[in-house]
Amino acid sequence: MEAIASIKPETAHAVDAAPALAPAPTYINGSHALMKALLAEGVDTIFGYPGGAIMPVYDALYDYQDQINHILVRHEQGAGHAAQGYARVTGRAGICLVTSGPGATNLVTAIADALIDSTPLVCIVGQVGKKLLGTDAFQEADVMGVTMPITKWNYQITDADEVPEILSKAFYIAQSGRPGPVLIDMTKSAQLELMTKPYVYQRCQSLVSYRPRRIPKQEQVETAASLINSAKRPYIFAGHGVQIAKAEAELIEFAEKTGIPVATTLLGQSTISTNHPLYVGWLGMHGNYGPNVMTDQADVIIAIGMRFDDRVTGDASKYIKQAKVIHIEIDPSEIDKIIRADAPVVGDAKEVLKALLPLVKPNDHTVWRNEFRKYDAIENETITVPELTSLDGKIRMAEVIDMLSKKTKGEAILVTDVGQHQMMASRYYQFRKPNSLVTSGGMGTMGFALPAAFGAQVGAPDRQVVAIIGDGCFQMTLQELGTIVQNKQPVKAIILNNNFLGMVRQWQQLFHERRYSFVELQNPDFITIARGFGMDGQTCDQRDNLSDALDTLLAHEGPFLLEVIVEKEENVFPMVPAGASVSQIRLK
Amino acid sequence: MTTYTICIFTENTIGLLNRITIIFTRRRINIESLTVSETERKGVSRFTIVIKHESREEVEKLVRQIRKIVEVMAVFGYLNDEIVYNEIALFKISTPLGSKSLDVETINKEYKAWVVYWGLDYVVIEKTGNDTEIFEFFGYLKKYEILEFVRSGRVAVGKTEKGLVEYLPESEWAYYL
Ligand SMILES: Cc1ncc(C[n+]2csc(CCOP(=O)(O)OP(=O)(O)O)c2C)c(N)n1
Repeated sequence: MEAIASIKPETAHAVDAAPALAPAPTYINGSHALMKALLAEGVDTIFGYPGGAIMPVYDALYDYQDQINHILVRHEQGAGHAAQGYARVTGRAGICLVTSGPGATNLVTAIADALIDSTPLVCIVGQVGKKLLGTDAFQEADVMGVTMPITKWNYQITDADEVPEILSKAFYIAQSGRPGPVLIDMTKSAQLELMTKPYVYQRCQSLVSYRPRRIPKQEQVETAASLINSAKRPYIFAGHGVQIAKAEAELIEFAEKTGIPVATTLLGQSTISTNHPLYVGWLGMHGNYGPNVMTDQADVIIAIGMRFDDRVTGDASKYIKQAKVIHIEIDPSEIDKIIRADAPVVGDAKEVLKALLPLVKPNDHTVWRNEFRKYDAIENETITVPELTSLDGKIRMAEVIDMLSKKTKGEAILVTDVGQHQMMASRYYQFRKPNSLVTSGGMGTMGFALPAAFGAQVGAPDRQVVAIIGDGCFQMTLQELGTIVQNKQPVKAIILNNNFLGMVRQWQQLFHERRYSFVELQNPDFITIARGFGMDGQTCDQRDNLSDALDTLLAHEGPFLLEVIVEKEENVFPMVPAGASVSQIRLK
Repeated sequence: MTTYTICIFTENTIGLLNRITIIFTRRRINIESLTVSETERKGVSRFTIVIKHESREEVEKLVRQIRKIVEVMAVFGYLNDEIVYNEIALFKISTPLGSKSLDVETINKEYKAWVVYWGLDYVVIEKTGNDTEIFEFFGYLKKYEILEFVRSGRVAVGKTEKGLVEYLPESEWAYYL
């Protein structure tokens, strides 16, 4: 039975009994313990919205205003997306604080989005008092049940004494391994009641049942290295995991030493500068032509921190059958999930690349790499150049992004919503700095961009943040304009207005015989709305004015909304039709 | 269809059953039986879940997804010939006056089953064994009036030298990859 001790969580904190003759100690309540725990984790920003079941925490927060900046959003979904934006640019957990029932359920979309895009969030949700649990009390919802499948971990605190240990666990789980959202459902009674022991906080370092492997096994690294060294046409796929691990420099060093071409996934964009000679483009449904087609010619694929999403693989049963696959992943359950790995390497991308570097031989795959350029030329000629230079008709999305890219020298943080504008932004923005694209990839959540851009701006005050938003998406969370204005964040937002739910319309055009079923929008006057919120803005519908309009947007001191009226029925190409194999990528 | 027995070691916490079963539900895998109990280690629970599946690969993926749950310490998947396993079945047989009398000797000797409760006009017979044995016995008892029949989930231990919990401590158990 002694062995039991060795499997106890090391987090359990020692609590010393109070000395016998000391005066009766006064212990803090659960809400104050929560504040202290947040401070201990270095939290300085919370995105939240109050309500009955979280009021004791808000009351405690009143005392901590100097140390913790609470940002009042306009809808809990906004809190979630803002926290995601914050987390994505800082690499630290974004914090959401909301009330029970509707507050918590409003947060659900953002939680699911964060899970699939591996974004660390700590969501603290009020719950009815312990005695009322399960009685259908006012604003009671089974938030534990609702969020169980969409959180990395969740826990219900019913006892103030649990606060320090659970919070330290929550932060550790959210931020380590493959990051993700955790949710703490905290009963009102636990917020109010006094702890029965002194508050002691110990940051969690490890858990018995959860041990992400950061450092890879040497045999796995060696197997991968020998595959790489003997490859004729090796090919790197860089995913979001590279940026999560902050392994951009190691990736470039690795690619440069071995001469291997690098393509990125959507979320992997900006990992490597788009003008790097080894960068060949992005993969997937609307990715570049060459990177997709060449997938079928590689003999060794080195997939780093990516999960072979179906938007990347197309028909997975026909995907990279010819290639040996090295899959570098911190989450072992991703290995062999979609694509069988010949050489799995479980570990943090940075650590794995560091371990691989000395083992791989310098190489020069110029001939193989140049193959990609032939396809680039085709894509350029059939899509890119016409989109950027045709001077007839309305402004095209591509022109706006291309011009924005030039004016910001590729150095802005781009936050995009979901739809055609998202794909166009990704296609035409020439990323020069790492960690510069914040988008909802796995979930494809409309309404993501405006609040996420706000959160990103809070997290990266020194960088220019530009949100690219569709007219449909904007109307899902536009109330967060109020949050942006109230918090004086210089977010720049661009609506690419085509008066359509463009991406759906594109599918209807291509695959449903142009039966445009409920995709046309009667839009409000976006600029008047922005002004109503106290934000400046302007509309641009002439090509000749676009440059000035962008200058005005970028030069404006505070937040600014630019609406650009774009071509109504534009399509995004290249495109791999859903369920087709990547080699069936269409140029028109 | 192959039968797989999946043994899951977890921390004993509220809601974990839900978290685990969600993974089966999402992948549309039916649970044939499920038993849970605390192991010889305090705070460590053991789930034994039986499923039938055509593809070993899918079962391996399922196991990986289960392993991902924070409170899960280890997951082991077995084929039937790799384990010793049993279930318990209880049969409630009607025995009113004048009914066909029970052949207790056959029940005991041939079927290794025991009468565990004598009611006024019924008895309860317990049979431990694998599902084939239990259904054979069911066949035998059919000639009596069976008032109730219930089977437990499977319990199983691996045919290995060491106990599975030996694989839990600190270092290497979590990832075999
Ligand atoms: C919450 C949500 N509802 C529906 C969808 C499906 N959907 C994906 S793209 C899209 C159209 C987006 O339209 P818009 O914002 O105008 O952008 P555009 O495609 O025109 O650039 C829709 C409806 C979604 N991704 N998210």
